[in-house]
Amino acid sequence: MSNNAMVRKASSFEIVNHWALAVSFFVLAVSGYAFLFHLEGVGSVFGGFNQMRAVHNWAGVVFAVSLFLTIFHYLPVSLHFTSDDAAWFGKAGGYFSKRAAVPPQDELNAGQKLYYLVVLAAGVVISASGIVIWLRPWAKSGILLSHLLHNISFDLMVIAIPAHIYLATLANPGTFRIMVYGTVPLSWAKKRHAKWVQRMGF
Amino acid sequence: MTTTNRKALLISPELCIGCRGCQTACKAWNQLPGTKTVNRGTVENPPDLTPQLYNRIRYVEMPSETSVRWLFVNQRCMHCGDAGCMKICPAPGALYRTKEGAVAFDKDKCIGCKLCVEGCPFDVPRYDEKGKIAKCHLCFDRIAYGLLPACAKTCPTGAIRYGERDALVEMAKKAGYQKVYGEMDLEGLGAIYAFRDAPKIYGYAEKPGIPESVVFWHKVLKPLSYIGLGGVVAASLIHYVAFGPKKDEEVKKDE
Repeated sequence: MSNNAMVRKASSFEIVNHWALAVSFFVLAVSGYAFLFHLEGVGSVFGGFNQMRAVHNWAGVVFAVSLFLTIFHYLPVSLHFTSDDAAWFGKAGGYFSKRAAVPPQDELNAGQKLYYLVVLAAGVVISASGIVIWLRPWAKSGILLSHLLHNISFDLMVIAIPAHIYLATLANPGTFRIMVYGTVPLSWAKKRHAKWVQRMGF
Repeated sequence: MTTTNRKALLISPELCIGCRGCQTACKAWNQLPGTKTVNRGTVENPPDLTPQLYNRIRYVEMPSETSVRWLFVNQRCMHCGDAGCMKICPAPGALYRTKEGAVAFDKDKCIGCKLCVEGCPFDVPRYDEKGKIAKCHLCFDRIAYGLLPACAKTCPTGAIRYGERDALVEMAKKAGYQKVYGEMDLEGLGAIYAFRDAPKIYGYAEKPGIPESVVFWHKVLKPLSYIGLGGVVAASLIHYVAFGPKKDEEVKKDE
């Protein structure tokens, strides 16, 4: 296969699901900040805080379901941690040097694996605690704990996800097209995901 | 709390005769329906605050050596200077501070999340059938016009007094109460109590406080949410300027 050939990195399903995650996260984070800091301007965009609460809760359902659906694609590869991944972290992914060569990476690089595990963990916690705050299944107990966990995972996400957005757009030109077309040039894939290219036999 | 002219209720269980006029006057002013009561073997009724009952008399029976000591304690929203319900509430204007220092509420702005119930150090807020907050609001719609709160107006013995907070604290001290419950706690309560004995005998915590997780959330997690986001955006910009994007050509050079 020629180096100019395009290879498929993400299926249509993955693309749609990732957009569902992205949009629901954006809605959740914006309304979340509005709840935290009483941002009345944001509230009026949603048609008032009463409606914003409903949107926040149901966007949470969309987020939780899409996050669940990512598990089949990303969890096995993310849990597969190799010595190349350790070496990748040793070089900080090559992000702090213009000349560093990083070890060959699989379908996800070591940073992406770590990121996925962090977001999955935070996502499970924020979804479960959100449901407890929303539906109060056990009368009074557990609400304050859920409130605490909901906010800890919120903080984790508003730190991790913008970093992910930067790394998948400005920091790595050519990456964002995966979320649009699902395909990348073979030459690009060989540079960044050599083990994956080899495994797939492109 | 920066209200300089803060008003308060001074509640003196020693003066209370347990007539429960405060309960009915409150219901009358706030148009709250009566609820069917049950004989539970005590004069105390209803047994707890409800969405239709903003204040009530708690009857404490204390066995003493010779007979039984009765304590009648008016239970209600304490209008804390540092109010846990207001701190945790996500809806602007749902809970608000009046210029007299009362913690009032607006059911239209309440989104029914019920977090105020968890944030309260005194287990006061209740929620109605629509899930909206219901509690004592110190008759904000009376005191704004110079009227007494309904409970204080109706109390025949002076067990519930309304007035300038500082003057009420002084009055209690002059009456021989060295410690006025709620004088300093939670930046001062808006319902202060002249307790003869330890607060816990009357059903109150010695040192009331907002739940620690709520304080931690307010002081650490909330600021971290925007410092963290801002930090990541700033770090990304600095990284972009200092190191720039990964270029395939550069990667090639390293091979």
